[in-house]
Amino acid sequence: MTDLQRAWRGGRNDWRLHALSVFSVAVAFVCLASAALVVVNIDGLRARWAQAGRASVFLAAGVDAGRAAEIEQALRATPGVADVRFVSSEEARRDLVGMGDDVLAQLPAEAFPASLEVKVNDDAEGHTLAGIATQLSSLPAVESVETYGVWTDRLAALLAGGVTASALLAIIVFGAVISVVASTIRLALQRRSREVEVLKLVGASDGYVRRPFVIEGAAQGASGAVVAIALLAVFYAIVRSHFQGELATLIGMAPMFLPWSVIAVMVGMGGGLGALAAFTSLRKLLVV
Amino acid sequence: MQPGQRTDAFRPVLRGEGNRFDPTARAKPILVFENVHKAYRADAPVLRGMNLEIERGEFVFFTGPSGAGKSTLLRILYAAELVDEGRILFMGRDIGRLTSTSIPFLRRNIGIVFQDFKLVPNWSVLENVAVPLEVLGLPQRLIRSRVGEVLERVGLAGRGPDLAGTLSGGEQQRVAVARAIVGEPALVLADEPTGNLDPQLAVDILGLFEDINDTGVTVIFATHDRSLLDIRPRRVVVLDEGKAHDVPHGLDEVAEADEDSGDQPGVAVRDVA
Repeated sequence: MTDLQRAWRGGRNDWRLHALSVFSVAVAFVCLASAALVVVNIDGLRARWAQAGRASVFLAAGVDAGRAAEIEQALRATPGVADVRFVSSEEARRDLVGMGDDVLAQLPAEAFPASLEVKVNDDAEGHTLAGIATQLSSLPAVESVETYGVWTDRLAALLAGGVTASALLAIIVFGAVISVVASTIRLALQRRSREVEVLKLVGASDGYVRRPFVIEGAAQGASGAVVAIALLAVFYAIVRSHFQGELATLIGMAPMFLPWSVIAVMVGMGGGLGALAAFTSLRKLLVV
Repeated sequence: MQPGQRTDAFRPVLRGEGNRFDPTARAKPILVFENVHKAYRADAPVLRGMNLEIERGEFVFFTGPSGAGKSTLLRILYAAELVDEGRILFMGRDIGRLTSTSIPFLRRNIGIVFQDFKLVPNWSVLENVAVPLEVLGLPQRLIRSRVGEVLERVGLAGRGPDLAGTLSGGEQQRVAVARAIVGEPALVLADEPTGNLDPQLAVDILGLFEDINDTGVTVIFATHDRSLLDIRPRRVVVLDEGKAHDVPHGLDEVAEADEDSGDQPGVAVRDVA
């Protein structure tokens, strides 16, 4: 009988105990997977903003249409620039006031400077937009250039915070997984003390006795992670089916689920932690 | 291996190079007790300087009142306990000096039967009996064949699929005996194997051990049941108050010697402690 078969036999006889353990591990992993999901989406948002490749060039007051057209033409001729659109002061006012804000409607026309909306190519490197912005800022006809880089920086800071929080949460989750699996394996060992005693008496090595328990521990950890990810996927699918449009509008992109690499790491980590917990919990208990 | 080279693994002299017996080992006692001391409490030693030799193929009863140290002695033999002083040689190897990694190799050469059977009740008879062979890593086909033969030998042919927990006491003890002998050990230890059985079943089980002994296996049978000792006049080692008395030809011999020698009891008894 192979170690896997022995583990299956033991697990089958104690299936309720193992199911409870898997559920407890899953609860812990749901927290971690949720945090990972948030981090993944913040990172996606940051990447999108970082690659948005657009800038608003606000023209100084009194710049005539001819000067604006010259700048527009110069920009169109600049490598990496995909599109340039002139937005007059009236258009800007109309766009914003059209959103129904009474306060904006009372502002004078000067409060809405004319601008050139620049879009760079998707494959343009990050410094392209920064270089264009620097050059434009030095022109007297340009009041200011907004590249929206500050939002990317803010998202990066939020992401760093999210990663740190997730790392701390991961430590707690790992502790919980080790604790749950170790307790379950110790309980399983107690329930199967006769089996272990018999094995030791007929000459089984510690490794031979321990291996099925370690496999059971690994299976518990990995199963807990799989169950957690499955639960999260169901929850994600429900939320997405109901609020996909709203979410896309709110965060500016379609939300995404955990990538396969993250799922694989979580399941592998669950299995590894389960095996480690089982191994360490049995180390001092196999004395006959 | 070079002469004098040490190895951690316990290597029995039996079954080397495909031979059932090592010719050089045949002449040596299978067990030698040399000045063995064991005490759980300083004021109540279990064994006090026990010296004893058991030859290969012998059937020896260990007897004595409850608490005399029969089970302790057997536990020392399968390295579940250590002696405080002295040494026990099994096939020339000092059991007390075996490393923890060598102990499993020792136990693969010893079959053990207990009063409470020590079967896994939710395993089938076949699974219970097959355990020693699975530990050895033998192929499943060979295991099934060997288990079938042994079950037939103990009178349980065809009972392989039954759950051990559903069998009667006598049947469970037969399963335990089958498990003890399926690995063809050199030594079988029986610790009060008839303690939970009625007298007739006890005699049956004793007969089973005698059959095993007839195949050349050394059997140590610990019991406090005097009736079993009377049925089979064999070598008896009596343990009492830390001392061991060796009675080579059964307790009947002691009684007869007591009658012949008038007021000199214990003529045939050799004090080995």
